[in-house]
Amino acid sequence: MTDNNQADHPCLPGGLIPLEQWRVPETSVRRTIRSGLRDILDQLKAGIHPDEQAFRSLDDLPTLSERQIQDYAPVPDREELARALLNELEQLRRSGGQSRKTSFLVAPPFSGIAEALWASGRRVIAPPDNLLMPERDITGWWDHQLQDDDWVIPELADFWLRHRSGLGLLRELFARLARDKVGEGIIGCSSWCWQFWTQYLPELHLAPLTPSPLSGDRLTNWLGHLAGERSQGPLTARMTQDGLYVLPAPTGDDERKYSLFTRDLATLARGNPGVALAIWRRTLRARPEDDAQQQGEGDAHQEGRQCWVAPLDQLSLPAVPQSSARRSGYLLHALLMHGGLSLGQLELTSGLPGEELRIALSRLERADVVTGDEQEGIFRVQALAYPAVRRYLQSKGYPVDSF
Amino acid sequence: MGDFGIKDALSSITSEALLEALAVIVAASLLILMVQKAVPVLAAKLSGKPRLYLLASVPLFRLLVIVLTIIVVVPILVEPSFENMIAIFGALGLALGFAFKDYANSLIAGIVTLYEMPYRPGDWIEVNGRYGEVRSIGTRAAEIVTLDDTVIVIPHSLLWNTLLANGNDGTDNLMCVAEVFLDPNHDVGRMLGLFRDAIFACPLTKTYQPVLVTVAAREAGMCYRLKAYPLEPREQARFISDLTARAAEICGDEGVPMVSYPYLQAQKA
Repeated sequence: MTDNNQADHPCLPGGLIPLEQWRVPETSVRRTIRSGLRDILDQLKAGIHPDEQAFRSLDDLPTLSERQIQDYAPVPDREELARALLNELEQLRRSGGQSRKTSFLVAPPFSGIAEALWASGRRVIAPPDNLLMPERDITGWWDHQLQDDDWVIPELADFWLRHRSGLGLLRELFARLARDKVGEGIIGCSSWCWQFWTQYLPELHLAPLTPSPLSGDRLTNWLGHLAGERSQGPLTARMTQDGLYVLPAPTGDDERKYSLFTRDLATLARGNPGVALAIWRRTLRARPEDDAQQQGEGDAHQEGRQCWVAPLDQLSLPAVPQSSARRSGYLLHALLMHGGLSLGQLELTSGLPGEELRIALSRLERADVVTGDEQEGIFRVQALAYPAVRRYLQSKGYPVDSF
Repeated sequence: MGDFGIKDALSSITSEALLEALAVIVAASLLILMVQKAVPVLAAKLSGKPRLYLLASVPLFRLLVIVLTIIVVVPILVEPSFENMIAIFGALGLALGFAFKDYANSLIAGIVTLYEMPYRPGDWIEVNGRYGEVRSIGTRAAEIVTLDDTVIVIPHSLLWNTLLANGNDGTDNLMCVAEVFLDPNHDVGRMLGLFRDAIFACPLTKTYQPVLVTVAAREAGMCYRLKAYPLEPREQARFISDLTARAAEICGDEGVPMVSYPYLQAQKA
């Protein structure tokens, strides 16, 4: 299934797999030890370097322009991913790999599944305005929403609040799903939301599917696909320190020497495409002479599309500001479980008063860990900070997802 | 042989040897002191297992330094022959046995503590009705800090004949119980469900550990016990307060009155 899918859906490398089969991409022992020691050091350094938390690059090479980054590492096409998902689900149904009427997809944050499901062209069931809906109204609301087939719930995390009155909607839906009485539909669910609900309802068995983790090889192919290797020709990306190749993806008779960069990137991102892409965009560099050529002489097209890649060691990714108080942890955990929350919702779920909340949020925003959407008024964890946030929550004893 | 050969063994001690031995002992003491002060400060910045491991390393390190110091100091003072060793340690044993019996008892129990590990730094223990977190394990006694920030010194010798309750036993999983008493006339099944939801809704709950709500009919009313694990043992007071407040809020919303013993006692009177 994996090889065929990779050939058929370059935007969904590895296809969909049962949740139990998901494994974090392998890495070297050296990198694991180094990462563990760095975590402990980060905790010990709490308060010593308060201003050194946001993203910064430790090399002097010029970064690419916004246009070049958009060209070399664009945001994935959500409609293409939606087509691949629907196709994959259809194949699974035909082959008997999916016996339930409702397909349940669990994916880590930033994997792009929710966005793809929004663009799937199916009838989208949006969450109600009042997530603290009284119990007597919940049954009727779901009856109304699920009366026709071919519906999609892009993100189940939008349908609940971690509040004693905010669990009813999902409790009712899961009860119906367990009986397979909700018609034909597709549900996307954040891995953090899923982690909470499998602990709340330990007997729940919905046989969820999940996108395969991006290993080093898959990530190389996926990044090449994103760079438009089919339409615009291959992108050549080489490491700045030793010139080893990262892209284009190696072919069978390739004599070029390749870097292990994508393997390390896949491990750092834990196989998560959205996180890997966010970091990848930050590693892309232009050499000074290349930059001058592209701007002044216009020779870029003669040489093909080229860029350079800074080693991961040269990046200082955003880190969670350390403090003895637990406020940051409450907020980050709540934001990940719900995929983003407004200030009012954060007050309800974290139990922190508004002033304390705003102080803690502003600190996380300054550290590039959280971003606030001014129009929607929703706060979310940044993709670039996700690896650090997950490690932080795990070290503090919070329940974390299995991705 | 009236002096057990101690006189012979000690006759070779010179003032230089004494000074040298003293310097080694002072250096070892300073090293122990430094580690005992620095490691807990570092551990306070960590959480979870690394914190517990770091704290547990302190008494082991101290024991190691003490043993090494003895190994270094004894040959400086006396010739380490079999006869001399018998004489020195025999005299030491007699002195400890008669003059410092209780002290020696605690010292030996302290060594047993390091081996059997009935409590480690970071554990929450209850001894003779005193409950607190083990802050340090000394040579003779352990120090615990209660929830009201009072330090209690517990001699290790209590180990021999006292019941000792350890809440987390070297892990960072400590079950907490919030207890509420309710007026008996209500829907028990509904309250069980609502209390369970309240535990899961609490941001301090370790949801991957068991979450339980039990109920029992008592003289004071229906006794509900909300049992769960806080994210960190150190947060237990806050966690129990939070669960109690959430339970009280539910009782208020559901119109189920909470009752208490003093209230019942007053009613009876």
